[in-house]
Amino acid sequence: MYEIAASALLKEVMNNYFRDLKSRSKPLVWCTSVGPAELLRSFGFEVYFPENHGALLGATRKAMDYIPVASKIGYPSDICSYLTSDIGSHIQKSTPLTKHYGLDAQPIPDLIVYNTNQCREVQDWFSYFADQYKCPILGIVPPRHMDEVKQADIDNVSSQFKSLIPECERVSGNKFDIDQFRETLRLSKEATLLWKKTLETSIHTPAPISFFDATIHMGPIVVLRGTETAKAYYKVLSDELEVNVKNKVGFLPKETSRIYWEGMPIWGRLRFLSDLFTHHHSAVVASTYCNSWIFDDFDERTPFESSALAYTKIFINRSERAKLAILKDLINDFRITGVIFHEAKTCFNNSNSRFGMPAKLKEETGVETLIIEGDLCDLRFFSEEQSTIKIETLLEQISS
Amino acid sequence: MQKFFLGVDIGSLYTKLVVINSNCGIVHSDIFKTMARNNKRDDVIDQVINQFKVEYTCSTGYGRKLLKSADLIKTELYCASAGVTQLNPIDKTIIDIGGEDIKLLKSDKNGKVIDFYMNSKCAAGTGAFITEVAERAELDVLDMSRLAAKSTSDKELNSFCTVFAKTEIMKWIFDDTSDEDLAKGIYISIANRIQKIPTDNSLPVYLIGGVAQYHPYLQNIIGEKFNVRVTIPENPQLINAFGAACIAQKSFVNHLNPEP
Repeated sequence: MYEIAASALLKEVMNNYFRDLKSRSKPLVWCTSVGPAELLRSFGFEVYFPENHGALLGATRKAMDYIPVASKIGYPSDICSYLTSDIGSHIQKSTPLTKHYGLDAQPIPDLIVYNTNQCREVQDWFSYFADQYKCPILGIVPPRHMDEVKQADIDNVSSQFKSLIPECERVSGNKFDIDQFRETLRLSKEATLLWKKTLETSIHTPAPISFFDATIHMGPIVVLRGTETAKAYYKVLSDELEVNVKNKVGFLPKETSRIYWEGMPIWGRLRFLSDLFTHHHSAVVASTYCNSWIFDDFDERTPFESSALAYTKIFINRSERAKLAILKDLINDFRITGVIFHEAKTCFNNSNSRFGMPAKLKEETGVETLIIEGDLCDLRFFSEEQSTIKIETLLEQISS
Repeated sequence: MQKFFLGVDIGSLYTKLVVINSNCGIVHSDIFKTMARNNKRDDVIDQVINQFKVEYTCSTGYGRKLLKSADLIKTELYCASAGVTQLNPIDKTIIDIGGEDIKLLKSDKNGKVIDFYMNSKCAAGTGAFITEVAERAELDVLDMSRLAAKSTSDKELNSFCTVFAKTEIMKWIFDDTSDEDLAKGIYISIANRIQKIPTDNSLPVYLIGGVAQYHPYLQNIIGEKFNVRVTIPENPQLINAFGAACIAQKSFVNHLNPEP
């Protein structure tokens, strides 16, 4: 049975990350998953990402217990299920972090920072906790849905990054150090390039890492970017996968189709979906989601400007036209034969099937596309049998 | 010696089976309730396999993976395409309204599925929807087509939600709406649901599935809404099982004569 040996190290890395959070030896900041982590880390903050908690709530299927709790206080179950399950978990004073990492609760923040490059919901989500913890909150609000990121946009976002500095200095007790920021950004870029290399090993057949495995191995690039630890981890992982490529060892011995997953993972059904595709010898080799943590525009020589560019240029913040072009390139690079669009009921911003994209993509590439309905955390929006029929029909379409 | 092939469609409400000969002619068919806990299903099917000395069996439908004796498993969408294409080898749209889902597919003259859609989270417009709403309206489901044909009303249910549609139909009953208009209103609601699905209006439509079998008036309503010719093939409820049998026959031939 195919296994990625680096998984043991991954477990250790993630355990150590949460151990450090628990120790509270440094001031702690909450940050959105594609927020200004490098800048924050340069002040010496421990950085905690509530979206990681959202994914854990989804993967452990605890989200459905907590979402109704948030609904009762005015956060209905059809808004972001990361938000509702996280708030519900807070109200219930219960979290899977206890079982998995020994934390009694999410770590209490000294500062909260968000970037609405991914959605406006993070602002409201984080504001709830800022109220709860009587904690300062700062935000970056970039222009959205961009065809291309222009100099004026970079200047705008770059100045917003700089405006975070005084409060970060006050809360952390450390003066801003541009060299520290440059170093953190350099480390982040090196890790992000190794993550890119990791994902791109699946350009080869047989592919050595599936989308489903990548959603697990992406942990460090989300929570530890800007550290030596993340860089070291992705060196180990990418080296292992490159050896597998060389030895023609992949997660499927035989690939009858190569699938691209567009949209959020369905955290509580990763195993089910992985088994379904494996049963049909179908390799899910690439995704928008895992690619979202590739920031190859980082440049330590221009830390503010390049951070502004990298974080504003992310897929989720682009126009439909720009997204289509990105998808077409990935389909070509990874030799994709079918694209699955996950229409997440509570994640409008990360569902790209609602403005004609699947039909356009099929028309322009000839690749079969399929929309399945579900959700990142709330499995009540996911019909297992209906989705199975759809996926199996797509695979029949590809093979006929 | 004549060879026989079996298609089994294990649907949410009924299991349908069709035996065909080498020329895809139907020599036997049967329909019985699926009843998930009924272990006799496999016995009935095994009996048919033995009786006809079936060479190859293909199963489809909601319970397609349950049939132990199946040589092949295919989705209903592919079987629908294979079945209708065997009867009409042309480019077409197929609408399959079953007990708990609607499937709409575009299929080419060779039976390849070009595009497809199916409902995922809501049973509006399915057989279950008709049964529920008709029960509230105190209509005999088997008499609805006859009643609807007499109606000149174009009143329609606004709600796609089965439960809310039942509430809405109560208001119609309080307003003394005739049985004929109630029946037609329910059908219009289903056609409205289907109309939201992207379709190629240049293609003829084939309406299949259990709902087409028992509610043939839908053919008229869908034809008017889509402005296309709608055909209900003979035995529309058996088409997926027939398609499965055709796939079994072709697979058997391919199995005997593999491509070099």
